[in-house]
Amino acid sequence: MTSIGTGYDLSNSVFSPDGRNFQVEYAVKAVENGGTAIGIRCKDGVVLALEKLVGSKLLKKDANKRIATVDRNMGVVHSGLLPDGRHFVSRARDEAASWRSTYKAPIPVSSLANRMGAYVQAYTLYSSVRPFGITAIIGGWDAETEVDVDGAVGSGPKSGSGGKTEGAKQGGPYLYMIEPSGLYWGYYGAATGKGRQAAKAELEKLKLNPKDGDCISLEEGVKEAARIIYVAHEDSKDKDFELEMTWISAVNGPTKGRHEEVPKELREEAERLAKIALEGEDEEEEGKMEE
Amino acid sequence: MFRNNYDNDSVTFSPQGRIFQVEYAQEAVKQGSVVVGIVSKTHAVLAALKRNAEELSSYQQKIIPIDAHYGLALAGLASDARVLSNFMKQQSLASRLTYDRPIALADITARIGDRAQTNTQQYGKRPYGVGLLIAGVDARGPHLFEFQPSGVTQEMVACGIGARSQMARTYLERHLESFESSSRDELIKHALRAVKESLSQDKELTLDNTSLAVSGVDEPFKLYEGEEVVNFLETTFERREEGDEGQAAGEGMEVDS
Amino acid sequence: MNHFPEAWGRPRDDIYGSYNPQFLPNSHAQQSGHPTTHTQSPIVTGTSVIAVKYKDGVVIAADNLASYGSLARFTDVHRLKPFNKKAVVGFGGDVSDMQYLDRLLNSLDVKENYSHGHDDAESDKALMSAKNLHTYLSKVMYKRRSDFNPLWNALLVCGLSEDGTPFLASVDLLGTTFSAPTLATGFGAHLAQPILRRVVPDEAASKALDKEAAVAAVKECMKVLFYRDARSMNEYSIAVVDKSGVDLKQKEKLEGQSWAFAEQIKGYGTQTV
Repeated sequence: MTSIGTGYDLSNSVFSPDGRNFQVEYAVKAVENGGTAIGIRCKDGVVLALEKLVGSKLLKKDANKRIATVDRNMGVVHSGLLPDGRHFVSRARDEAASWRSTYKAPIPVSSLANRMGAYVQAYTLYSSVRPFGITAIIGGWDAETEVDVDGAVGSGPKSGSGGKTEGAKQGGPYLYMIEPSGLYWGYYGAATGKGRQAAKAELEKLKLNPKDGDCISLEEGVKEAARIIYVAHEDSKDKDFELEMTWISAVNGPTKGRHEEVPKELREEAERLAKIALEGEDEEEEGKMEE
Repeated sequence: MFRNNYDNDSVTFSPQGRIFQVEYAQEAVKQGSVVVGIVSKTHAVLAALKRNAEELSSYQQKIIPIDAHYGLALAGLASDARVLSNFMKQQSLASRLTYDRPIALADITARIGDRAQTNTQQYGKRPYGVGLLIAGVDARGPHLFEFQPSGVTQEMVACGIGARSQMARTYLERHLESFESSSRDELIKHALRAVKESLSQDKELTLDNTSLAVSGVDEPFKLYEGEEVVNFLETTFERREEGDEGQAAGEGMEVDS
Repeated sequence: MNHFPEAWGRPRDDIYGSYNPQFLPNSHAQQSGHPTTHTQSPIVTGTSVIAVKYKDGVVIAADNLASYGSLARFTDVHRLKPFNKKAVVGFGGDVSDMQYLDRLLNSLDVKENYSHGHDDAESDKALMSAKNLHTYLSKVMYKRRSDFNPLWNALLVCGLSEDGTPFLASVDLLGTTFSAPTLATGFGAHLAQPILRRVVPDEAASKALDKEAAVAAVKECMKVLFYRDARSMNEYSIAVVDKSGVDLKQKEKLEGQSWAFAEQIKGYGTQTV
């Protein structure tokens, strides 16, 4: 940060002589201190997971949920400044609702990512606002089957209008990550927050790219997500944390196309396996030391 | 003199990603007198220490009832709390009018959280300079929420904010396990004792400077002040005067110590 | 009567002279020369909705017909909309207004699920009850009628209230609310309600009624309505809401019809005897 003190970093929307917007870079710093958040796009759904650092013993356990539902089939997890995250979520909900009222159908994940990307970017343009101090991961499932428009009555024509094509494949699981600059990409596996490096390393080991053959299943994804959060937490071991996980499956899957919390039993089982996996790694390392 | 360039407004990040204006606002909370909140399985309790500007002035209101099922305690700028509490009253009435349903505490807390966040992202606004404890009972049972100037809101089992509140929090952490199954009376005692922990050496809780509010499942939020807290103070601190009947319990204490 | 719909239902120009736009607010007068008008009548309509409260819950039914005037235009229109595990809304009246209200309820449901998107006993307690929903809908209907732009419907809202007791209430296009152990909208208010009241005269009778008897009473009424309501059909939807949730069937057929009574009807057509 050689340019600190040159004055180009004091206001948002100002470029430095070498073409950087420092306020955006500083906002990224706020993200880098937050608990790790990840998203995994699996064959039959999306998992969102969060390492929720517990700052005080007095906090109510399992209460302060941070992964938010934006529309029935969509969730957002974020890392960074908590209130900024809520602002983001609130805007995302408004976008989803306004999309519904215009098109009488749920917003596709890609469109939501696009609109939120534009919204976040707008907060880098003016000196009267500051950028978002969060990176957000949006996960969702776009319906694969043709859905009735909201409020439809009856079954309507069997064919004809509306561009219905027999057997056309559409929808599926989607995952996007939006940064404080407004930049966003689609991901197979996304990670942000303090432990993102470790988490990314783990994500890269997973079979997530459909080009490499069959991707991991949603159930596997849940277990991997728990394990990755535990791995990412290794660096801040002194702090307590809670694991928060949500998932979205297809209509014929466990969540029936909805964004829901991973059931307690399944989450606890995933955590148990995560702990075993971690202990295993420790033993291996110890073994190597002895050699 | 060291000059921090990044702390002039709430739309500037420091190189570390901090927003100093917001952090300074948090300091305003620590200037206010201590307030404590605790929940059990059946009740939510708020207790507060009131300050008066001078001997002859009245005491600052610390607990504001909002709706029949909940209220709040404040530490910091009282006028900011009044703005927020008016907003909460409107929202609570709207919920009752539109849905015939008492507003959920999580919802109303999120709404003021969102309002506070706006003040930290736009030039020309300042963060609220007040911390709140919001306590009461809704369809999901008793709740306690903490609200901070940054817009952070979190649900707590017990919480203390304001001047010297660390001592209250230490007390609360020590008795954390017992709160859930506490009776109404035990919970009140814990809250008053936690407030007492935070008092400076020369101060006592009296009927003048103590505010207490209780709500429970099937028990509407009620604020106790003045004569109504005498009994709670006496049973909590077991200070029935011995023979000295002329003196009111509270006032006697303040003069003595 | 002439061929200009905007003139229908107004004082006749040839007798009273043309409308004097002078009395309109300035914003209107120059543009149209007529007062602003909103919906004057429903277009595609659903007929009666009927419901009965019994000891553990509520039974509600409505047929699957949407009529365009006297034309039986759509025969697979479902007029019972489950809102959540605790509430069902039955719609009579204009079908496009029903679709609007359905979307409104949909967005309300999405909002309700922001905070509790998963199934457990705790969340169930905080679920919006039928009573909450009825209050909300009655505000919507009243607001619209006060804007002189009513939603042309008669609604029955049924299910459970917050304390788990059965709930049944109505609201209509004027925002009028009414609650009783048995309710019926439209033609059903005249035909079904007396029959239902015979089975369930008061709250006490409702508390003694079991589910089977309630369903039987409702089915009997659907049959009677089909006999005598010329805007009805023989396929209908029926829902039972109780503690276990909503049990909705959308393709029920009327059973055990007997048209023997038709022989007795005199006074129509070419009958001479």
